Amino acid sequence: MQAAIDTATQQTLLRQIFDLVSARPSSACNFLPLPPLLAPAATSSSPDAPTQITYRHYATLYFILISTSTESPLALLDFIQVFVEALDRLFENVCELDLIFGFETLHAVLGEMVVGGVVIETGLEKIVAGVKESEGVKGKRKAVNASSSASLGKSSGFAGLGWATGTGSSWR
Amino acid sequence: MFEKSLVDLIRGMRGHKGREAEYIQSAIKECRTEIRSQDMDVKATALLKLIYLEMFGYDMTWAAFNILEVMSAAKHMQKRVGYLAAVQTFRPDTEVLMLAENLLKKDLTSPSIPTLSLPLITLPHLVTSSLALSILPDLLPRLTHSQPAVRKKTITTLYRLALVYPETLIVAWPKIKDRLLDENEDSSVTAATVNVVCELGWRRPRDFLPLAPRLFELLIEGGNNWMAIKIIKLFAVLTPLEPRLVKKLVRPLTNLIQSTTAMSLLYECVSGIIQGGILDGADAGVNVEEVADLCISKLRGMILLEGDPNLKYVALLAFNKIVTTHPALVAMQQDVILRCLDDPDVSIRLQALELATGMVSSDNLQSVVDRLMKQLANAPPEKSTFLNGSVEDQDNTDLEQKLVPDKRGSEASPLPNEYRHEIISKILDMCAADTYANITDFEWYIETLVKLIRQLPGKTNDTLTGRHDRTLNLPARIGSQLLDVTVRVKELRPEAVRAAERLATMSSRGMYFASHGYGQAEILEVAAWLCGEYAVHLSSPYEVINSLVHDQTKDFASSTIGTIVQAIPKVFASITKSANQEWNASRKGTLELMLGRITSFLDTLSAHPNLEVQERSVEFLELLKLGSEALSAATIDAPEAPLLLIHALPALFEGSDLNPVSSAAQKKVPIPEDLDLDTPLNPNLDTILRSSQLIDEEEGDDEQTTAFNKFYFEREITALASIRPTTRSQYVEADNDEAVSYQGIPDSPQTQARKKAERAARNRDDPFYIPGGAHTPSDEIASVIGKQAGDLDVDSIPIVDLNIDPSQLQHGQSTEKPKKKPKRKFMIAADETLDPTSDQLSSSFSDTRAPRSLTRNLSNTAPSSSVPATGNRRNFLSVDSSNLGAFSLSDQEQSGTLQLDIERRLAEEAEMAAALKEVERKRLELARQEEEARTHVAEGVDEEGIVVKRKKKRSKKPAGDETTEQSLVDTLKKKKKKKVKKSEGGDPVQDSQPDFTEQ
Repeated sequence: MQAAIDTATQQTLLRQIFDLVSARPSSACNFLPLPPLLAPAATSSSPDAPTQITYRHYATLYFILISTSTESPLALLDFIQVFVEALDRLFENVCELDLIFGFETLHAVLGEMVVGGVVIETGLEKIVAGVKESEGVKGKRKAVNASSSASLGKSSGFAGLGWATGTGSSWR
Repeated sequence: MFEKSLVDLIRGMRGHKGREAEYIQSAIKECRTEIRSQDMDVKATALLKLIYLEMFGYDMTWAAFNILEVMSAAKHMQKRVGYLAAVQTFRPDTEVLMLAENLLKKDLTSPSIPTLSLPLITLPHLVTSSLALSILPDLLPRLTHSQPAVRKKTITTLYRLALVYPETLIVAWPKIKDRLLDENEDSSVTAATVNVVCELGWRRPRDFLPLAPRLFELLIEGGNNWMAIKIIKLFAVLTPLEPRLVKKLVRPLTNLIQSTTAMSLLYECVSGIIQGGILDGADAGVNVEEVADLCISKLRGMILLEGDPNLKYVALLAFNKIVTTHPALVAMQQDVILRCLDDPDVSIRLQALELATGMVSSDNLQSVVDRLMKQLANAPPEKSTFLNGSVEDQDNTDLEQKLVPDKRGSEASPLPNEYRHEIISKILDMCAADTYANITDFEWYIETLVKLIRQLPGKTNDTLTGRHDRTLNLPARIGSQLLDVTVRVKELRPEAVRAAERLATMSSRGMYFASHGYGQAEILEVAAWLCGEYAVHLSSPYEVINSLVHDQTKDFASSTIGTIVQAIPKVFASITKSANQEWNASRKGTLELMLGRITSFLDTLSAHPNLEVQERSVEFLELLKLGSEALSAATIDAPEAPLLLIHALPALFEGSDLNPVSSAAQKKVPIPEDLDLDTPLNPNLDTILRSSQLIDEEEGDDEQTTAFNKFYFEREITALASIRPTTRSQYVEADNDEAVSYQGIPDSPQTQARKKAERAARNRDDPFYIPGGAHTPSDEIASVIGKQAGDLDVDSIPIVDLNIDPSQLQHGQSTEKPKKKPKRKFMIAADETLDPTSDQLSSSFSDTRAPRSLTRNLSNTAPSSSVPATGNRRNFLSVDSSNLGAFSLSDQEQSGTLQLDIERRLAEEAEMAAALKEVERKRLELARQEEEARTHVAEGVDEEGIVVKRKKKRSKKPAGDETTEQSLVDTLKKKKKKKVKKSEGGDPVQDSQPDFTEQ
């Protein structure tokens, strides 16, 4: 549950997961061992403790979900796929820049899919419709084409991971 | 004034590459002003920028109040920014939260769906029990909203409310259930409901059995794979409670397995069958064989399917669940599983490793371990620079690249240290399991252990990985295995000692130890001890001595030096003994030379900062100086070497063999009947204490001051003395309660018992006799204690050695022995103890893996000591992982109380049932009544404050007017609530748990 994390811890967690995830070749499976911060207490095996980390790698971005063992690992992978497809619909050929500039929309998509750590919707059409309704007449939010942004500093790349994980962790 | 937009900010950050931090600081400063603006647009933009920066880790909790302002904006898009900020930064303990209450209520009744959704998706992130209580009446009607999108969000929000305020379920559960049972409900609402039901389901499955028919229906007819997966997962929890379900489920599940094209569903069906215990359902009329074959073959297929590592991974995961109950079934798939050990993906390898550990038997142990050894040997050690690679990667990334699944080529990565660590510790686990039950060839095992030393990973940051106390450091484990095998398997000793010799010998060390040198000290400690203890088996004792007295020794940890110092005279003693057989001048010369080396070595150590090392060095130094005097005094043509060297010195170290002693053995030493720990040593303690107190008060008078001083010192002594008996007796009492074996022993013949008692009394003077059984002296003692198990013969104790005892005792007992002893417990034969039938034996293995010091503590201080140990560990971790842990903790608490409260709940059930019927009609009214009823129950429990405040609040709520007083109440209540959460049991909120069972 995201609400329990303060900003600093969240950053540490991001850093740890990123270290894990970035060291993996693309041929590896999409499940991560738990980072040190989440290492289970030896004695407790509560179903509420986060036990799996699922990620998917798209171009420059990692989408990472932290969940309890009560979620199906393969379904989580599909979940990320649906999430990205929804983004793709909303942004049309979504890329990292779209998500950086349009992170509000990204959160809106997530809000249509997960509430309080429970998946509420996995139907692409309904998700897209829900977000469009909430964004009103704003229409397509294609990011400004900033040609000067071809090269990207390390930190912004990391921010991309930042929200992907940050929002992901609101899933339990 | 011109303000930056979000786009400006992001571009600005790009533009200031390398100086981002500076730029961000100035941006935050701007935001601080902008967010105070009267213009809502400016405010919202500033907030949006802050949210963006928050993702980089820049704190924005200071803007909490401004977030509230934006949340209450009129325009939806601004409102949305405010709510997003709330999701990102508000915590249940955020202070301004109580001010948000009205706003949330208002937005919950908004006619606009998007606006209405905002509080719904935000509430789960910040809800507190008091907020839940007040928001519930506004939230409930949304369950019947005309839009499915609202209904499904409401359902999950209600679930999250219930987590902090369980009473929510009393009123909400019937409605949620209606949504589930309503066949005309929108499919996505049903799916969301199922998800919520599942979340609740694994917390208290029993309550959900009545829903099984409907869930079953949904499973078969739902046609929604996402939902089916959830339902199957829930059924896996339900089947153990309702065996009849097994029979019902088997058919549809096997059908699904055979027909579905969705891998995730297929996998969940298989895993549901495994976890639901359907494989054990033979008595329920299930054809277990057939089902098991189906599952296993599907899983096998998933592993074999090339190109999808995910399937491989989850299949191994499923196998790991089966292996505990059906190891044979899994072992049949050995071929594919073992292939996964070499998979390029570390996650898969780890799973396979776990699985391999679970399924090894004496048949396949060697091949599995050899495979792993090969892997260790072939992989290059981890390079610490792998991060640089990823940084370079990032520089080349194209941000406008479309988000398509990544297809980068795979590169073979070196074995990470973590994984190396894992492999080695698993190898040790596998081999040592059940005191080497699976090992048939011990020579091979010794060889493997020696090879493992070379593969040890470099020093890992133990505290960072949290591994520190779970698996103690590997070198020590390997060392203890080496030691253990040597002591336990007599036939192997010559080989084992020769292996130790190779390790200890200077010239070959480079061959056996990893280049980073980590762990060398621990291994050498063991090797040195083995060389000393079993010096007869050494092939070239001269060389061993030369290596041990090498200058390099001084750089090791003091415990290692201590062991080496102890080993040197032992090896030397064996040399003199053999030298004596053909005594001549050249031998004398050699001995003299060697003595010279040893004494100069010990001489340098006699000023070692570690007292233990110092003491041993000085003692042996003096002893060997005598020897060297005797040697130089001896004439060249003497028929044999001086007696001191050939008899007295070896006699120090010879005796009967060391035997492995169970860690539980000490506890079984009977207490002599005449030992009275309850009688105070000084019966006048009270008077003395009192008078000393009196004097304290009258201090000032000269005479009395001297008297006081006198008393002061007396008091110190007596107080100490009197404290000890009480605590000791307590200790013994506690011990008696737990370890009945104390009393269980005296069944033996009387004489035997008497002898035991006598010896126990004698040994009691030195508490280290038993746990610390040492070298020379304790060789005997250890064996004697060991023999107590069987027919003990006290008389077998060599009298000579016992005489030597007092002088040598401290040696043996101090550093070296107690550390090693616990390790030596593991004999292929079995541990020796006073009462071999005791189940304590089984615990001895787990002890091996505990750190040395821990083992020692455990055996010395009663079982209770292990409890605080684990407690500490948990605390430590929970602090560390406070992020995601906090929720689960509170939740655990609740589910814990749920179970504890079953009895109380039963009593309340009738009362509740009546109340619940009314809920349907008069929800608001009833909520009030409920609370009142509950407060009555809770009154006098412990936290009166809550009761009073609840009442106040409740009576106010219908009026709907929030005043400052109201919010004051809220803060107070919040504080109280926190406290209550910590105290167990007395919490009125938790006492009256939701009773949705009966509905």
